[in-house]
Amino acid sequence: MKKTVQWIILAVAAGILMFFPALFGIYFTNVFLTFVIFALFATTLNLLLGFTGLLSFGHAMFFGVGGYGTAIALERIEGLPLILAVLIGVMAAVALALILCPIMVRVSGTAFAMLHLAFGQLIYVLALKLRDITGGEDGIGGFDIPPFSIPGVVSVDMTDPSNFYYFGMIVLVGSLAILWFFTKTPFGSIMVGIRDNANRVDYMGFKVPQSKAVIYLFAGGFAGVAGSIYALFQNLISASDAFHILVSFVPVMMTMVGGIGSFFGPVVGAGIFGILEELTSRYTEQVELVMGLILILVIMYAPMGFLGIVQILKEKWFGKMSQQAGAEEAS
Amino acid sequence: MKSTKMIFSAIIAICCFCLVAVPQTLAVNDAFDPGKMADMSDFDPSNPVTPSGDTIKIAIVASFSGPAAFVGEIFYAPVLWAAHDINKRGGIMVDGKRKKVQVIRADHMSQVPQAKKITERMVLQEKVDVLWGTNGSHLMKVINQVAKKYKTIAQCTAALSDDLYDHKNFTRYSFMTSFQTDQIGRAAAYYYGQIRKKEKKFYILCQDYLFGHAMANGFKKGLKQYFPEAEIVGEDYHKLFLTDFAPYLTKIKASGAEVVYTGDWIPDAANLAKQARQMGMMLPFAHTFLDEPNFLHEVGIEGTKGLIQIGQYATTNPNFKNAGQIMVYRAWNNLWKNKWTKPFNTYTFKHGPGGGNIGSYMMQTYWLLSVIERAGSTDPEKIIKTWEGDTYQLLNGKVMTMRAVDHKAIQDLHAIEYVPPEEQKVNFNIEPYRWYDGCSGGGPVSRIPADKIMPLLDPELKR
Amino acid sequence: MDPVTAMYVAQGIHGLAYGMILFLVASGLTLIFGMMGILNLAHASFFMLSAYISYTVLQVTGNFWLALLIAPVVSAVIGILMERFLLRRVHASGHIGELILTVGVALVILESVKVFWGTENLPLPVPEFLQGLVSVAGLEYPIYRLFIIALALVLLAILTVILYKTRLGMVVRAAVSDADMVNALGVNVPLVFMAVFGIGTWMAGIAGVAIAPILTVFPGLADQMGMDAFMVVVTGGFGSLGGAFLVSTIFGLLSSYGVQFVSALAPVLMFIFMAIVLVIKPMGLFGERE
Repeated sequence: MKKTVQWIILAVAAGILMFFPALFGIYFTNVFLTFVIFALFATTLNLLLGFTGLLSFGHAMFFGVGGYGTAIALERIEGLPLILAVLIGVMAAVALALILCPIMVRVSGTAFAMLHLAFGQLIYVLALKLRDITGGEDGIGGFDIPPFSIPGVVSVDMTDPSNFYYFGMIVLVGSLAILWFFTKTPFGSIMVGIRDNANRVDYMGFKVPQSKAVIYLFAGGFAGVAGSIYALFQNLISASDAFHILVSFVPVMMTMVGGIGSFFGPVVGAGIFGILEELTSRYTEQVELVMGLILILVIMYAPMGFLGIVQILKEKWFGKMSQQAGAEEAS
Repeated sequence: MKSTKMIFSAIIAICCFCLVAVPQTLAVNDAFDPGKMADMSDFDPSNPVTPSGDTIKIAIVASFSGPAAFVGEIFYAPVLWAAHDINKRGGIMVDGKRKKVQVIRADHMSQVPQAKKITERMVLQEKVDVLWGTNGSHLMKVINQVAKKYKTIAQCTAALSDDLYDHKNFTRYSFMTSFQTDQIGRAAAYYYGQIRKKEKKFYILCQDYLFGHAMANGFKKGLKQYFPEAEIVGEDYHKLFLTDFAPYLTKIKASGAEVVYTGDWIPDAANLAKQARQMGMMLPFAHTFLDEPNFLHEVGIEGTKGLIQIGQYATTNPNFKNAGQIMVYRAWNNLWKNKWTKPFNTYTFKHGPGGGNIGSYMMQTYWLLSVIERAGSTDPEKIIKTWEGDTYQLLNGKVMTMRAVDHKAIQDLHAIEYVPPEEQKVNFNIEPYRWYDGCSGGGPVSRIPADKIMPLLDPELKR
Repeated sequence: MDPVTAMYVAQGIHGLAYGMILFLVASGLTLIFGMMGILNLAHASFFMLSAYISYTVLQVTGNFWLALLIAPVVSAVIGILMERFLLRRVHASGHIGELILTVGVALVILESVKVFWGTENLPLPVPEFLQGLVSVAGLEYPIYRLFIIALALVLLAILTVILYKTRLGMVVRAAVSDADMVNALGVNVPLVFMAVFGIGTWMAGIAGVAIAPILTVFPGLADQMGMDAFMVVVTGGFGSLGGAFLVSTIFGLLSSYGVQFVSALAPVLMFIFMAIVLVIKPMGLFGERE
């Protein structure tokens, strides 16, 4: 019985996603796609923060490098296929993660956060300074978005918002699915193990630094996917959208607001942020005040985030804790 | 005999006058007519009258929150003024219906994603007819992209970058009615080389991003063309929102520069000039945005004397040439003094249509409304057809021409020399014969003719 | 002194002066973030708030000293209230909780500033008696910048005395390394933390009043100074006052000589320095604790 309900809900959700542009129009389609981009970005951060216990203040660099990789590739290379452009962005983010991981796997806690702050800011000023490559403050924009094409089979125009929606959704939701399965592999348990007791993981015969490095590459690479799709979606990437310190804080806040414990916490958090932004910008010009108050209230009264509240309510109403959620509960 | 001679010469004189004057008035397609202006005594930007029903919608896409929130208000008041005036006159006849003008505040928070989102919301949900903006060329780029995608008219009034209208970024839905970076630089060079002919050693200090480099390049290009014997003794680009200008100022001092050319805007421009004066350096700045009254007052009369501004809304002396112009100015200034509340009663808004950027934003909006009226439609295609090649005369007599090929405005610019209050009457020729009491302001004004500073045309732009 | 030497010497003094400006803002953060381990992203907002308050005090009284006295104290009181009623309660959530809370507070302060003072750029002139230049050996230097250097040194002295020569300082240092133990000894640790937080925001306030006259008071002021101050503390090392002082000076000199010799790269130097230091010593130059 319960399974059937779940399937029905899933089917309805899939149906809505399928026909989103037709149902809600271009504007909300774009708002929704933005939400999914940030949902993926925040989820990659949660891989480090929620699962592995590593707080990063520089996660924006992977997002940004992913975006710049794609944008620069499309600007410089004529006739580059869309998929390749995305791949170049992702590879750039992975390369950055590869360069940084020998330094980063040695440290944890505050040092991890601060090293990321340092490199994040360094890359930010470099992006501002190296105008010939990055376009500086103005960024790279207006590059041609190639159609999605399989030679001889199809060619879909990606400048059309609803076409791009489907492309973006396939890449982003696909990435989320990969990450979800990743946390279900034995690696998922190692991550939680590193967070809770790194020594024990070591005793069990898993090499902590190497495991951390793999997680780090995944988190960085998929943040690059989010950044790459973002750059294509906006048709513009600039230093402050890509590397500003707030871009690093946003996924942390989304994760916290959504619920740090579970895989879907950051997704929920990104959704809440999206809805809040949409509402505040419509009904008030005091956007900062509303956002500020909400952040204060959330951390004061619901430090376990939205999913945490849901969990508490569930316990209250049903009197028992769902086993599934218990296993996922990570904090 | 004598009288026939007199009549004869009178006729000749009239004919000559016609030859000179008539073509000038005939040359423009439309002009701002102060005589038609409605009674504005009920205008208050804090309490706007929003017309209902079927309206012509203009969205001001600008920062209304965030650190640059004030800029949004600077745009809002003059645009709303123009809309209020037109609405009190009964609106505009478009597509067989008389419609009033509605102004919508669209906050881009100075952020690219928000700019895209809000602009799309304006187009897709509010169904606005015109996107008016904005502070920041990267944000204007977003607006132009949206305008192109959804076939909506955009008006670039305040983002001055030339590359917005190069072959890569040009869209026929967007019109640039502001002046432009390259043009400003060349105008400054023309002024120093062809008109002023005094200082020869220049130091360029601009912000390190596209806008700053474009301002500097224009100036360098202009010096080559109009002032080859000039010498650039140094050139630096500083990061945006810089805290400490002292190291740059020390370099400038050591370079022996006679003038510092800067494209900086506030707060960088203010901090630069302020810290220079604090360090005892009194050398003049050639600038565009150093006209912020709070800053001018803080630095005082001595510190602001000799600044040279390249202005987009000015005229040769005297500033007020006829009764109509004075009437419009007084209407604004009286309301500013007696009626408006914060933030519209601050120094920044004091002079409105008297001159400066607020006056320019107002006039650019009147031009837009005039184009819509003459197109007789809000249909983008009809607006494009009317606007391309159009000419419009502003309140102060300056004529704007919309170059059809790349949608950039051709216009005279003016170099304004700042002088102490008691010398400002050459320029501010009505009571109280000065712009401000506590700082230097507009004095001698030189016209830089439009044909010497034609807007940059991207040769690769093929239309 | 010949002009070229004068230029190099002047750049050195500029570097020192800018270093002291950085130290003024960073010193309070050293106490709060460095010593107490509280991640306070609203620190620069208190700096800005104090600049705004001093603007109003100057408008009303016209007295710079009064502004220097009142504005930091008001900021400190607000800071103490924030510590007592907000920060203390999120302690359990660690740095992430503090991050979210203080970003929230920073946004609220930003909005309040706009409501009370508007979004305009407000002028805050250098007080008359500190205007002008002093001339030493053919080198002219603005008195006000020397005043800032002196003020920073005075604050450094006060802090050193408090931390290393008084009982309060002893308790603070002890409480930072082992709060439970100190609590068990009968010291009211929360009260001590509140006091230290108050002193930290007070110092941000002093910086706000002192630096406002060379900058423009506008709602972006906090962003303009915040990151640099944060970098000073992180690079200097957690809990190290000397580290913060040294790094401020190095940053200042990198910035002025950077402009002189490698103008195009000047803003990057600080960040490269920071990255190198942290790669070698992740807890900062003089970092004492994790």
